[in-house]
Amino acid sequence: MVKPKFYDMNVHSIPDGKNTPQQTSILAKHFGYAGIAITNHSNIESKPTGFKSNGFEVFKGIEVVSNNPSKLHGLIGKYRRNVDVLVIHGGNENINRAAVENRNVDILAHPCTPKDSGLNHILAKSASENNVAIEFNLDSVFKGRGGRRVHTLSYFRKNVEIARKFDVPMILTSNAASYFDLRAPWEMIALAGLFGMEKDEAISAISTVPAGIIARNRPGPGFIREGVEEIIEEVNSKDSSIDIDNIDSEPEEAGVSN
Amino acid sequence: MKILPPTLRDKKRYLAFELICEHEVTREELLREMFSCVGSLIGDVGSSECGIRLLTFEDSKGIIRCAHKKTGLTRAAVTTITHISGKRVLMHILGISGTIAGATEKYLEGIEVFTNEGIE
Repeated sequence: MVKPKFYDMNVHSIPDGKNTPQQTSILAKHFGYAGIAITNHSNIESKPTGFKSNGFEVFKGIEVVSNNPSKLHGLIGKYRRNVDVLVIHGGNENINRAAVENRNVDILAHPCTPKDSGLNHILAKSASENNVAIEFNLDSVFKGRGGRRVHTLSYFRKNVEIARKFDVPMILTSNAASYFDLRAPWEMIALAGLFGMEKDEAISAISTVPAGIIARNRPGPGFIREGVEEIIEEVNSKDSSIDIDNIDSEPEEAGVSN
Repeated sequence: MKILPPTLRDKKRYLAFELICEHEVTREELLREMFSCVGSLIGDVGSSECGIRLLTFEDSKGIIRCAHKKTGLTRAAVTTITHISGKRVLMHILGISGTIAGATEKYLEGIEVFTNEGIE
């Protein structure tokens, strides 16, 4: 079995959190993560940072905060081109809805509102169509205590159920503000079991789903726009000679047979 | 009393862990916090089913014992430890084994506990 590569897609750093991306990445690397995304809140002055060192990558990200759906769409447009991961600070009915209806959004973070789980069948359908991942921020499970945690767990359970039914991508994050808020990948998977996520779902929620987000936002060199890609560069690269021959010979053969 | 024959004994798993902490933590402090956190997450009934026991704890690393079908729940429960005596801590499970010797040899012997010196 190939070892999965794990990613934590919602980590905060100075000035939004307590540590620098470098400090947090030391521990994340020790825990066996392949990368983390630094997603500071957009209402706090900080520039998205990203770097790569010894097989560990810190991705540029942002957590967009707004109270107004139309302003939110504007902010998404403003930040989209500069970041690898675009997260929406959810938790409000209108914002949740605006987030799942925008194709440029990668993750809807902590959608749970004070009253309910923040997700229903309509939002789930949009999220599925627009490929917006629903976040399960595990910090509220391991840091919370008492009634609040009880509510969080039941909302998470409900969201897993809805996401499963409508095939919405799920993502597990730590939402860490300090390196003490990070948890190792297998601990995250164990925590996800508390609200009914199956092991394989949890593994993909912390490995393939975040990897897919990164791949989607870092298109290859020939990319023009969604669905349109220039493939000349690929044809010219390795083991392409056969393809070229085939392409050339096909019309000729057709001509002969006619 | 005669001890139970092997087939009737409870099967167990041993979790090797390291504790990443701001300041050194004593065994008693860890025990108190561990049972309070586990109790708050899974309650008395869940704790009794898990059968969590702190076996050894030295130099910020040690072994926890639990029921063999409850490793996931035990893992989740012990990761909810966030503070001990007002200082930040973080438990990292290094591996799970069926015997104490296995856990010690594979995961604890000769392993340098992660220190935050590189970070601070």
